[in-house]
Formats: sequence, structure tokens, C-alpha cells
Amino acid sequence: MSMGYERRWETRRQPGGSAADEARDSYYGLPAIHKPHWKWSIVLYFFLGGISGASYVVASLARLFGGPEMRPVARAGRYLSFLTVIPTPLLLIYDLGRPERFHHMLRVLKLRSPMSLGVWGLIAFSLFSGLSALIQAAQDGLLGRRGPARLLRAMPDRIIGLLGSGPAFFLSGYTGVLLAATAVPLWTKNFLLLGPLFLSSALSNAVAALFVLLTATRQAGSHALERLERLDRLALLAELALLLGLRANSGPVIGRPLDEGRLGQAFRGVLGAGVVGPLLLQALARRRHSGMAQALRLLAGLLVLAGGFLLRFVLVFAGHRSADDPQATFELARKR
Amino acid sequence: MTARGPQGNGRAGTTGARPGALGFLTDTTLCIGCKACEVACKQWNQLPMDDFGFTGYSYDNTGDLGATTWRHVAFIERVSDREGRRPTRLKAFQSNWLMMSDVCKHCVYAGCLEACPTGAIIRTEFDTVVIQQDICNGCGYCIPACPFGVPALSLTDGKAHKCTLCYDRLKDGLEPACAKACPTDSIQFGPVEQLMERAKRRVADLHAQGVTEAYIYGDREVGGTGGIEGLNAFFILTAPPEVYNLPAQPELPQRKVLPAFLSTAAAALGLGLAALLSLRRR
Ligand code: SF4
Ligand code: SF4
Repeated sequence: MSMGYERRWETRRQPGGSAADEARDSYYGLPAIHKPHWKWSIVLYFFLGGISGASYVVASLARLFGGPEMRPVARAGRYLSFLTVIPTPLLLIYDLGRPERFHHMLRVLKLRSPMSLGVWGLIAFSLFSGLSALIQAAQDGLLGRRGPARLLRAMPDRIIGLLGSGPAFFLSGYTGVLLAATAVPLWTKNFLLLGPLFLSSALSNAVAALFVLLTATRQAGSHALERLERLDRLALLAELALLLGLRANSGPVIGRPLDEGRLGQAFRGVLGAGVVGPLLLQALARRRHSGMAQALRLLAGLLVLAGGFLLRFVLVFAGHRSADDPQATFELARKR
Repeated sequence: MTARGPQGNGRAGTTGARPGALGFLTDTTLCIGCKACEVACKQWNQLPMDDFGFTGYSYDNTGDLGATTWRHVAFIERVSDREGRRPTRLKAFQSNWLMMSDVCKHCVYAGCLEACPTGAIIRTEFDTVVIQQDICNGCGYCIPACPFGVPALSLTDGKAHKCTLCYDRLKDGLEPACAKACPTDSIQFGPVEQLMERAKRRVADLHAQGVTEAYIYGDREVGGTGGIEGLNAFFILTAPPEVYNLPAQPELPQRKVLPAFLSTAAAALGLGLAALLSLRRR
């Protein structure tokens, strides 16, 4: 990385047409815009941040409206939210070109910069997530009986949960706006769909993670698990509709990265194994009883989680591919 | 290629440039492809070399704007048919080659500036767009937020870099190094309003001389569209923008922020309601 010079023309178009063809409607097939440098740390951040926000929302709603049988869901949701939010700032800082300057993000708040808003939203949400997890720990008796534990137990956890659900949803969904507000054709073309897609996928991921955790630890009763599964179904159906909408809205040229090569396979994998597969497994499990059904549901949950990670991988890297495709950029900049 | 002439929709030649804004007019019909601007820029700004190699498709071995290349001369060989033969009749100006010195456009409303979460990118007193190197933390968000693919992260220092329109020289009353070095005055520096008047006259002249393809790239009709409201560094071109790797009708990416947040909020409401109904006690 210390070479001091860059090669910038390695992203040439696939071999095929002549230079004359290329020079007619693009500059030798070279990218017309620059792609972001985001790699796996950002994919992981999108994944964990989504789960953290959505599991906080699930925990808050379960606590507010779920009654006593949803208490285990609320407890697990609060812990899960806190545990998954801890690594997120580290992943973001790791991604910076100059990590030691991460605090420069805190100089300003810019309403038209989703990244600036996201930093402040993440800070606000972490406070809520941490506080709710502490309250939960105090309620569970993990912090002893006196002093601060007593103070925490006296806090209005339901109201805090309700207030924190705003930033929680923000954290799960703003990432779609972050991608949309760029010149990357695939992202900006789908500017209305990306936020809802991130949100519904975050919700299905969080519910699946809670389902798996609660089943594995035998913490929740069958009523609670049933309700979680119902919510998972709704979130997955929303995700399915949004994924199909994303493909259709992208059109033949801009949507190419979702069709071709490994990324295309991965996108179809998200659709098949990450969304449709779990829906089918859950439907199958409803017809059966006993251990078999349990195993099917667990498998569905794990597939949803894998699909959620893969979806974010596909969105980020298909964006790279899209930015490298001058035809996509020009198509976007022609149609007004 | 419709509506790209100066008669388009009445927005040709208009720009939202603020009074007193300084900028470039790069008249590609005068460019001889000598790359003096690239060299002058590297020297003045003390930018390291790029990869020393051959692209293999034209005299352009620079390839693209980047962290260490703030002027880039594009070479487009005009070929007439699928077999790649040259036209036998030479066109007026630039023979069979189009040459164009590309640069940061110093947009009137700049995607990079709006995206920057640290406030490192500022609009200067000259209405140019500059990245403050002591602030940038290399988050890289300005890179995909530029509709023209200008800024880039440096491999050596991890920060984003691009043309400063020679901020230091402007402060001392000098013109930018590239404009100073350009032997044909293809790169002209001055107040944007004056440059735009000059560009309009030049395009009219070119039309009179038979180069009817000539037009301004960087007004509100082409190049400075979609909320960008014009480019302070603009161009006179003689082929469709795509040929020079430029978008015809770019849009300010931040236009999407509010609607995208609204659709996300609507989804949050819907999903929150679904969660409430699924999880509630019954
Ligand atoms: S051309 Fe790109 S880098 Fe230059 S001011 Fe406009 S948005 Fe910023
Ligand atoms: S890389 Fe630097 S200049 Fe670009 S958006 Fe981030 S902080 Fe701002």
C-alpha cells in the first residue's frame, strides 16, 4: 500500500467489441465515476447495525405490548441489541483511511449527508441500547442489589424503549439512504427502495436471531416463538417484494450486476436461500409437530441470517460493479 | 444528440455561479494534447508520479483523474466505422483526434461537499471547492458522491484529494498552474461570468466556421443539470459528453436524501405496525 503511485486503468471493459465501438459511446469503456472503497468491514457493519436496531425495536414492542410471556423476547432483544452495536463503531473506524481522525466526524452535523446523520444516529442509538441493556441486567439481578442497580431498576424501561425505537429504526434503515445519495447507478436508481429493503431485512434478521437464540437456550414459551415466527414471515414477505422490485426497477442495463457472474448468483442466492427458502421451511414446519418442526424452524432462522449478510454483500459489491460500468452511468444521466 | 446545441431549452449558457466566482473555461477545440497542464499541476502541487506504463488504447497513458492526478488529458481517436478506419476527410479543428483536459468541475452545488461528514470539503472565497487536508479522515464518502468521478483516496496518506483550483496561487493573485502553462489557451482562467460570455461567443464563432457540433458543457442545460446548477470549471466540446467520459445530464446525489428518508420512514411505520400486531398479547 505504500507504493506511492496507482494504476487506474485496470478496470477496463471485458474483451469483445473493438476500440472503435467503445470510443463511440464511452471513453474506451473506462468507468465514468469512482466507486467507493467500502469492503467487508462495511458489509459487516450494515449487518450488525441492522440487527442491533431491529432487535431493539422488537424488544421494546414486546415489552410494551407483549405481556408476561414476551418478557424473554424483550430480555434477549435488549442484550442482543447491545452486543451487536458494540463492534459497529470499531468497524467504521477501521474502514477510515485515517482511523486516528475518526473524531473529525463530530465537528459538524450535516442534514444532507447521510453519513454525518448516521454517525450521530449511531451515537444516539448506542446510548439507548446501552441504557436498556443495563436496565435489563439490573432487572435480572446481574448488577447486584444496591446503589446503581436499584436506580436502574427504578427507571421507566418501557418509555426508554419507546423513545429509543426511533434511533433504532434509523440505524437499521439509514444505510439505504447512504447508498442512494451517491452517483452509483444501481444505488441511486433504487433510492426509494433501498431504505425499506435494509429495514425489512434488518427486522427479519433480528427476529431470526432472537428465534434461534431463544430456541437454543429454551428461554421462551411456544406462544412467544409463534409470534416471532409470524413477524418473521411478514418481514420476509416485505423483503421478497422489495428485492423483486429492486431487480425490476433497475432495468436491463443498470441491473446487470444483479444478473451476471458471481454477484448475480449471490443475488439469486439471497432470494432463494435467504428469503423464499425460509418461508417454505416455516410453512413446512407448521404441518408437523415435535422435533422435526423445531429443526426446520432453526434452519430457517439460520438461513435468514446468512441471507441478510449476503444481501448486504451483494448490494455493496454490485454497487462497485455498477460504478465501474460507464453504460450504467450514462443511462442514468440520460433519462431525465 | 438532441437539444445539445445552444438553442436547447433556453438554459444554455446560463449558470448558477455566484457573483465573483472564479473558474476555468477549457476550450477543447484549442487543445493540442501536449499535457503541459498535467505536468504543471504535478509540479506546482508536488504530486507523485502515477504508474509508468501504457494503456494501449490511445496516447492517453494517464487514464483518469485520481488522488495524484488533478488534470487529465483525454485522447479520443475518431474512427468512422465498425472496422475502426479513420475518416478520409479531416474535420475542422483537432483533425482525427479529440483532446480534452479534464479537471474537477468545482460544481456550483457540489455532491462531494454535501456528502463530506467531517466538513473537510469547503467552498472557498473564490467559490471553488477544496478539501482541507488537515480535516479529512479518509471516510471516502465524497468519492462515489461526485457525479464526475473526480476525487479519490490516496494509497499513501489515506485521504481524499482533488484539484484545489490552485487555492494557494489564487490567494497570491496568481492564475492556476495549468492555465498558466497551457500554450494554446485551451485552459482559460477567470471570473465564471466573463468566461461564460466568452464561451458563448466562441461557440457562435465555431458554428459560423462550420463546427456546428460545438456546445458548452457545464451550463444548466448540459453537465450542470439536476440541481448542480452549473459548473465553475466548464468546457467547450464537439462530441457527445459520453465520448469524453462525461455524463450528459448528471444529478446532484443529495437530491435523493429527503425522498429516500421519507420512504424509509414510511417503511419503518409499516414494519413497526406489523411488529406490534404480531407481538402483542391477545
Ligand atoms: S466535480 Fe466532483 S469533486 Fe469537483 S466539485 Fe463537483 S462534485 Fe466535487
Ligand atoms: S474522504 Fe475526506 S473529504 Fe471525502 S467525505 Fe470523507 S472526510 Fe470528507
